[in-house]
Amino acid sequence: MASFWIRWGRVLLMLLLVSGAPASAAPTPSPAQTAQAASLPPVRLRRPDPEQLRDFRAQRDFQYVEVRSEMSPWDLFWSRVWERVGEWLSSRSYHGFWRYVFYALFLGALVFVILKLLQVDITGAFGRNPRRAALAYDTEAEDIHALDFPTLLAEAETAGNYRLAVRLGYLQALKQLTDAGHLEWQPDKTNLTYERELPAGPLRTAFAEVSRQFEYVWYGELTLTPEHYAHTRASRQALLAQLSD
Amino acid sequence: MESNSTSEFSSEPTQPTPPVAESFTAARTDFSRLTTAVAAIRQEMGKVIVGQHDLLEMLLTAILADGHVLLEGVPGVAKTLTAKLLARTLDVPFSRLQFTPDLMPSDVLGTSVFRPNTADFEFRPGPIFASVVLIDEINRAPAKTQSALFEVMEERHITQDGTTYPMQEPFVVLATQNPVEQEGTYRLPEAQLDRFLFKLNVGYPTLEDEIAILQGHHAGFGGTPLEVVQQVLSAEDIAALRRQVRQQRVEPKLLEYIARLVGQTRAHKGLYLGASPRASLALLNGAKALAALRGRDFVTPDDVQFLAPAVLRHRILLTPEREMEGLTADEIVKQIVQQIEVPR
Repeated sequence: MASFWIRWGRVLLMLLLVSGAPASAAPTPSPAQTAQAASLPPVRLRRPDPEQLRDFRAQRDFQYVEVRSEMSPWDLFWSRVWERVGEWLSSRSYHGFWRYVFYALFLGALVFVILKLLQVDITGAFGRNPRRAALAYDTEAEDIHALDFPTLLAEAETAGNYRLAVRLGYLQALKQLTDAGHLEWQPDKTNLTYERELPAGPLRTAFAEVSRQFEYVWYGELTLTPEHYAHTRASRQALLAQLSD
Repeated sequence: MESNSTSEFSSEPTQPTPPVAESFTAARTDFSRLTTAVAAIRQEMGKVIVGQHDLLEMLLTAILADGHVLLEGVPGVAKTLTAKLLARTLDVPFSRLQFTPDLMPSDVLGTSVFRPNTADFEFRPGPIFASVVLIDEINRAPAKTQSALFEVMEERHITQDGTTYPMQEPFVVLATQNPVEQEGTYRLPEAQLDRFLFKLNVGYPTLEDEIAILQGHHAGFGGTPLEVVQQVLSAEDIAALRRQVRQQRVEPKLLEYIARLVGQTRAHKGLYLGASPRASLALLNGAKALAALRGRDFVTPDDVQFLAPAVLRHRILLTPEREMEGLTADEIVKQIVQQIEVPR
């Protein structure tokens, strides 16, 4: 029974507080304050003198013009960047953690530049390493411009080594076609590639014939008789004759 | 009438070797049987299909080189049709498998069934027991089923319950896959990819070929049945031609050239995985077959260079950096070919 009265007492107290709050929040003006407000003169709105305004506008100091920067947008961009960097470097956060991050990045960049200059490849030290293997053979290309073809050809013909003679003769034809600007010598090009570089016509036909003979003799390991070799030499000379025309 | 031509080979139109002076070719290998057969196969396939000349040459090269072929291309470029047509020109057993995600190895190889009357198990061969096996959408089956093909593709036999069952000759797997669809597909294991002699990219038809396809279809040839295609080569013919191909001449410097090309894939900085010695053998065998198809009894560097992308593109893995740069396997192979001097 006692708890019932306590509960109702709390509810009643809350109602009294809520109903009394606005009354205490807005104090009523005293009679003296009301009399003082009635004795004040009415508010008068003042306007600036238009003539005076015109004078101000005519003065150079009040003529606001947007000052254009003489810097290019690119310079402006970098100026802003460096300004920000400067602000950041002088900030409190930089002097804490970020200073060490900056040092680490700078050190890393320095090491990278040094390794690049020394041509050291350290990519294998991280993660998956591409499977590389050194080639166990020489990959240097034969330079046709460094060979003395007339001498080498004469030696091969005298020795009866017609297979070598056909090869040397074909390389000589390639060199002369390159010298004449008909072909562009590249070690990776095949005979068919060279053939396609030549414009259609008698020169291409003659070169195709010499190419086929070379392929049969060199790749096809055809054993040549002196008569066969004479035939290949005639074909080659016919090709070279077109170049000298 | 359907189909197209491959974009892969269109930049390098194939030409038969021009005739050399009679004295040079005398007493050399006679390829007239092969030449006649190829012309007949082209004619038979041309009854149904438009273009695909270079793709056909590569498929015939693979058959002569005793190799399997993986055909990759977007849907609708006649991969399956070309394979089916080629199989029809060969008078050999043919089977077709549609690979699906729930396919089991026994669905491919066969299974042992119990015979109550004899109280014994009897092996029932699966569809792999044919001479030309067309596997459609090969990348839709999971690794378990793909693994079932390892032994049969390489060793030409299967082992079931301790018994080895050899395949009949010839045995060629022609598989197709779609490069763009990822949903419900599995990447083929490297070990299986290595067992394919060639991976051929089948592209869209040229404008002329597509117009020809439309004209043929509009004129009423669209429904040309495959039955009109006649068989040209028997199993014995193929075996004889393969013997001829194996005797092709290969200059020793060319063997070194092939080894250098394949070896360079293991040294290239842009590759994570290079090609295996099986790739060298594939390049050699393919070049010998291609030379024969082009009427020569010897291999030239042109044959090797021409086949290098088809032999190497599925056997190499690019490093993640190169993949992110957008490089392709074909571009790396091209770089490698440009790095190696042609023997001359």
